[in-house]
Amino acid sequence: MTTTPEQVPAGAAAVEERGESADDGESTADGEFRDDTGPALSVRNLTKTFGEGESAVRAVDGVSLDVAPGTVVGVLGPNGAGKTTLIKSILGLIIADSGDVEVAGIDVYDDPRSAYGRVGAMLEGARNIYWKLTVRENLEFFAAVGGESPDALSERHDALLEQLSLTEKADTPVNELSRGQKQKASLACALARNVEVAFLDEPTLGLDVESSVDLRTEIRRLADQEDMTIVLSSHDMDVVQEVCDRVVIVSDGKVVADDSVADLVDVFRTFAYRIVVGPSAERGGDGDGALDDDLTTNLDDDARKRLRESYGAEAFESRGDRTAFEVALGDPGRFYDLMDDLRAADCTVHEVESVDPDLEEVFLELTGREESAPASEATTSDRVAHADEGDQS
Amino acid sequence: MNTETTTPGDSGVERRSGSEPGHRSPGSERPRGTGRYRTLVLAQVKKRLLLMYRYPVNTLSNLAVTFVLFGMVFFGGRAVAGQALTDSLGGIIVGYFLWSMATGAFSGLAWSVTRESQWGTLEQLYMSPFGYGRVMLSGIAVSVVESFAWGGAVLAFMLAITGESIHVPVGTVVVLTVFAIAPAVGIGFCFGGLALVYKRVENVFNITQFVLLGLVAAPSVDAVWVRLLPISQGSYLLTRSMQEGLRLWELPVAELALLAGTAVVYFGLGYATFQLLGRRARKQGLMGHY
Repeated sequence: MTTTPEQVPAGAAAVEERGESADDGESTADGEFRDDTGPALSVRNLTKTFGEGESAVRAVDGVSLDVAPGTVVGVLGPNGAGKTTLIKSILGLIIADSGDVEVAGIDVYDDPRSAYGRVGAMLEGARNIYWKLTVRENLEFFAAVGGESPDALSERHDALLEQLSLTEKADTPVNELSRGQKQKASLACALARNVEVAFLDEPTLGLDVESSVDLRTEIRRLADQEDMTIVLSSHDMDVVQEVCDRVVIVSDGKVVADDSVADLVDVFRTFAYRIVVGPSAERGGDGDGALDDDLTTNLDDDARKRLRESYGAEAFESRGDRTAFEVALGDPGRFYDLMDDLRAADCTVHEVESVDPDLEEVFLELTGREESAPASEATTSDRVAHADEGDQS
Repeated sequence: MNTETTTPGDSGVERRSGSEPGHRSPGSERPRGTGRYRTLVLAQVKKRLLLMYRYPVNTLSNLAVTFVLFGMVFFGGRAVAGQALTDSLGGIIVGYFLWSMATGAFSGLAWSVTRESQWGTLEQLYMSPFGYGRVMLSGIAVSVVESFAWGGAVLAFMLAITGESIHVPVGTVVVLTVFAIAPAVGIGFCFGGLALVYKRVENVFNITQFVLLGLVAAPSVDAVWVRLLPISQGSYLLTRSMQEGLRLWELPVAELALLAGTAVVYFGLGYATFQLLGRRARKQGLMGHY
């Protein structure tokens, strides 16, 4: 079961609910009037194929999405699903075969320079900064390359360093930082100037828990307080589930789901329960879990069969005078029928536990694949490049 | 299956509403017009100086190799060729000065693309609102200025150890040298583009340095067409200026026009090739790879 962009009104609703969608336009850096009512990012039918003939690989396959300002979108997908290629195609770093991309209403392919003025990106993790420069020197350099005066942005840089717990390391060369600090410095550089949309490719990859939490907090703050639109790809379901307003799941270059985390999980909610039953008091159950000779078949074969046939019950497990089983009811109303049937079978319900799917299970259901170690990930373009030119390592 | 449903709002990450007043002020810090380019060039200068300072062995060894190489040419040549070398010493000094600068400008650009690609910063530069070409050009401008600094040091070193004296009409030398090394920059752009697509082309860079040496020496060949080659016309005019003390306005207009023409053509061709190969790299998804 999949959801599609057409079926799902996507993350715009989440932003509107927070009341953060500005109705009034604002003047941009170039003195243009920007209409904030439009999406911060709009992608239409983006397609990219590497190679030709039988060896051709369609890395991005007709992807369309609109992202409202201030939304955090997580792009999920198995290795080689086309996540990085999608992000790079959106940014014009990989030239798409067809499709349109607009950032704040500016066509990235027709007017990349104007679009880049509104975009920040962290694409190579900690690698996309200069390791021989200090954190602050990197911030200043990337602010200048972004067309802004480093001196005028010093307060912003101080704030960024503080929020990312890097103030004490501001004047330390990046190569002397820990991995987590490097990663945070890299994020800071992507945000060294005022940008409206930030693309973060695996921002928490390889981070310890504390650094990961710092980064997540900062990402949320940027969206909530600065109305920044953030598109991030991650293998870490917890990060996506915790930080993102919306999830786009990509498989074989296609968007197979595009919705809020809660709604996606809802789509896959099966009203599944784990139920523990025992004999009723009338039948002599003492409730102490001790084996009672009369009740060894506290849920006898007939009852089990009936539960299997009527409710799809499975995973029966008996311990003492209690039996646990799982059911997925589909319709919440069926729960009461089940309770009635159990009572009719002289069973006492000791425990009912709701078993909801999490994002990881939704992901697996949609893609039919296991997320694997990110370290081994190769983008489709990587694979094609290697096929074309041999090993580049 | 887990037994809890987590929604973003329930997470451990605190969500706050509203915005920090004044924290974000789009555009207010953005310099305009030439100020933006000055900011870019100054940032490139600062980065270059810092990297030179933080890679001291690399910086000093580059300079040392240039000095030692000339020392070997001079002392070795004098031992082998004696008076013949002394007679042509002025030409050798000017040629070596030009070669060291052309090599600096060429390799500065070609290596820059390779290094940025290795470091993972290439795509960041590509996404500059200035445009990648302009970012590279600003880097080259810095590289050329740096080449002048090293070239001046090398020139002083050569004059000191040879006892030779030549004319250095600064304005003329600077103008002629800039036009003379413009084709080298074009070649650098060309190889930079090749590095974007084919990545490991460092060996070709090294070979090209010797090709540049040949081009610097080419005017000594008695054939006019040779001066249509990159750098050759600049080498010819620079040698005349520094050996005969000729100022810019004392040089034949046709010769200067040929210098400007070859400079523009080779620089333009190199830049166009760079753009073309950059587009190819993006089409094949190779921009950030190494």
